[in-house]
Amino acid sequence: MKKRYLIILIVLGLLLLTTIEAQKKLFPDVTITAFCDAGHNALPFEWYAPEFEKVGIKIKLITAPFANVYEKLKTEFVAGTGAYDVIVFFPLYLGEFAGMGYLKPLDEYAKKYNPRMDDVAKAFAKLYCYYGGKLYTLPYDGDVLSLYYRKDLFNNPEEKAKFKALYKRELRPPVTWDELIDVAKFFTRKKGEKLAGKVLTEDFYGYAFIAQRGSFAYAWWLAEFASRGGRYFDENMKPMINSPAGVTALQRIVDVMPYCPPDVLSYGYEELKDALILGRIAMCLQWPCNWKKGNDPAQSKIVGNVGITHVPGIIKDGKLVFRAPMPCGRVLAVSASSRNPEAAYYVAKVLSYDKSLADVSTPKTGLDPFRISHFNNPKAFAEFAPESEAKEYLSALRKNLTYGYPDLNLPGSAEYIDVLEIYLGKAYTKEMTPKAALDAAAAEWEKITERLGRANQIKIYKDLLQSWKEAGILE
Amino acid sequence: MKEESLNVIVGKKRFARWMTLPPVLILVALVVGPLGFLLYSSFFDWTLTIPAPPKFVWFKNYVEVFKDIRFWNAFKNTVLLMILGIITQSILGLILALLLNREFKLKKVAITILALPIMITPVVIGFNWRIIYHEHFGPLNYIIRLLRLGSGASWIADPKLALISIFIVDTWQWTPFVTLILLAGLQSIPRQVYEASNVDGASSWQIFRRVTLPLLRPMFVLVVLFRTIWIFKIFDPVFILTGGGPGTATETLSLYTYINGFKLWRIGYTSTLAVFQLIIMNIVATIFVRKFMRRGSK
Repeated sequence: MKKRYLIILIVLGLLLLTTIEAQKKLFPDVTITAFCDAGHNALPFEWYAPEFEKVGIKIKLITAPFANVYEKLKTEFVAGTGAYDVIVFFPLYLGEFAGMGYLKPLDEYAKKYNPRMDDVAKAFAKLYCYYGGKLYTLPYDGDVLSLYYRKDLFNNPEEKAKFKALYKRELRPPVTWDELIDVAKFFTRKKGEKLAGKVLTEDFYGYAFIAQRGSFAYAWWLAEFASRGGRYFDENMKPMINSPAGVTALQRIVDVMPYCPPDVLSYGYEELKDALILGRIAMCLQWPCNWKKGNDPAQSKIVGNVGITHVPGIIKDGKLVFRAPMPCGRVLAVSASSRNPEAAYYVAKVLSYDKSLADVSTPKTGLDPFRISHFNNPKAFAEFAPESEAKEYLSALRKNLTYGYPDLNLPGSAEYIDVLEIYLGKAYTKEMTPKAALDAAAAEWEKITERLGRANQIKIYKDLLQSWKEAGILE
Repeated sequence: MKEESLNVIVGKKRFARWMTLPPVLILVALVVGPLGFLLYSSFFDWTLTIPAPPKFVWFKNYVEVFKDIRFWNAFKNTVLLMILGIITQSILGLILALLLNREFKLKKVAITILALPIMITPVVIGFNWRIIYHEHFGPLNYIIRLLRLGSGASWIADPKLALISIFIVDTWQWTPFVTLILLAGLQSIPRQVYEASNVDGASSWQIFRRVTLPLLRPMFVLVVLFRTIWIFKIFDPVFILTGGGPGTATETLSLYTYINGFKLWRIGYTSTLAVFQLIIMNIVATIFVRKFMRRGSK
């Protein structure tokens, strides 16, 4: 008899525990389909899946190659099947996705689960997250280009002396675009020659950049164009890319090409990152994760030797002016056709806020700092880098961000950028002169604007300029 | 009796007509319907990157195609790949077919190995060749350096080499197909024809030129027809290897159509590009089929 009571008691206890456990769940066992570009940046969805299950969310992850994110998402949005709930994409497409009504405004959900937008760096918050005054996305990855260089080479006494003898000035990471060419030329050596006291077993190059179409290649041209005061359009949407600033910037890349690896025109993110961290080039402009990867012994041959500073600029009225492009970046959004928007938002909020410090401070991901709390936490990078170096890294990122230059997130941006990259490519391959290439690109931009409706594009572009001014990015 | 059998025949014919209805309906739903929609949408300015409704523009898209430099560049690249591919693959395929037409040990194994490239998914082939062509880690440049033939090349980054690199991949994948077709042709030539030629005192070269080649002609027509259609549609290796670049150096017609449709979302213009390709392919296929059928009837 006692035994029977005991069994009943245990069963009741288990039932009670299950009920309490179920009440702990925020959501009634929903499945959220997440979309992210494939590779290291999709890892957090897998890492935190067990934690999401505890609150009643089962994550189903779908990935696509980096270069195909736009068409995959757009295909889904056009079909409107509701296949994705939470999506990761590049803010370049925010104007189009939000403008076409593909995304759910998040203001209401943000009141319930605070994403701490006050903690997001102003530039990222303004450029990445809002459209038409509404919150549409939460930041996931903060991107800004910086100059990365080999500390061991730049600090090598033999190389320093050699450079001084040749150029009558100290060897340092290039501060201006003119210096960049000299330094790139100086470090370019043939196999068998010496570099920092060691005989080279393969050719070594001074510089490299991203030239592969569809990989934000235009940003490497934009860096000098913007520092020379260049703008995408004037206020009437007349293209300004073929201005003297644009032509000079393009000519610079053509001039630096002899000091780049011969296959540089096929370089995307991976190739450029590998060129630096596997010890084949002396410096490059890159995204912030380059520093993390370069200091990870599992991936890099130059651990402890990754220097970072602001992008080069120009001297204007005795002052250095530089602008760091902010290409790519990643944001989390909720699809307008999601059947579980609140749960989808919850996933986005956890990744954008709760787990973000851990995700941006590990070399396992390519995610980069975007919150003030990230910039104030060099200790978080202790897993692979000393605090002093992490401080140097975060401080350089902040400096570049202060003088950041935004992506063109207009409707039709994919088309504008694709055309621009095609003509940049024609100049790189000397098929066209820089002037002719940019004139042709500008003519194509005019046609695109006409086709998409000039009046509407002008209105959106003006709003965009205003938001850039509010973010403190444009004067 | 006669009337009854006539009724049966008429009934059978009616039944046969009803039986053809489902496939006809499927054909209409899957081919004629979309084709009609394609033609219809080619007369609209319809872009899905802005919230504007489609606008009827008559033949504006068709006129734009004629003025579109990128379209003609893609057309040129596609035709170049086609000419180079068909000539090279036919020559290589014929040589291999003649070799495989002889009896030797492990012949079946050789044919199986030869057929492997046809069986691999084109996307996988694209990724494999991307590694093979890699400037630093690629085995191709490694072998070139090992043999001291030079320092290697930027196979897919150099605009002068990129299209040739795609042609090499296409030839690697499809020469075996040409070989197998021609081998089947060679094996179908009656032995008596060769014996009669030998009796007449013809040399090996004369037999090859006057007997083998003319009898292989239908197979060659088949090869040229298939390869023309397939190269015209070439997409996967271009998409994976170069994405159409550097610049537009390797953009082909199908890739350019894809870019307009799925990157730029110009639905109307993409439909026009597709209609153009449909017309071109129909003309080519009709010429080939007529020629083939006329020779076949002879």
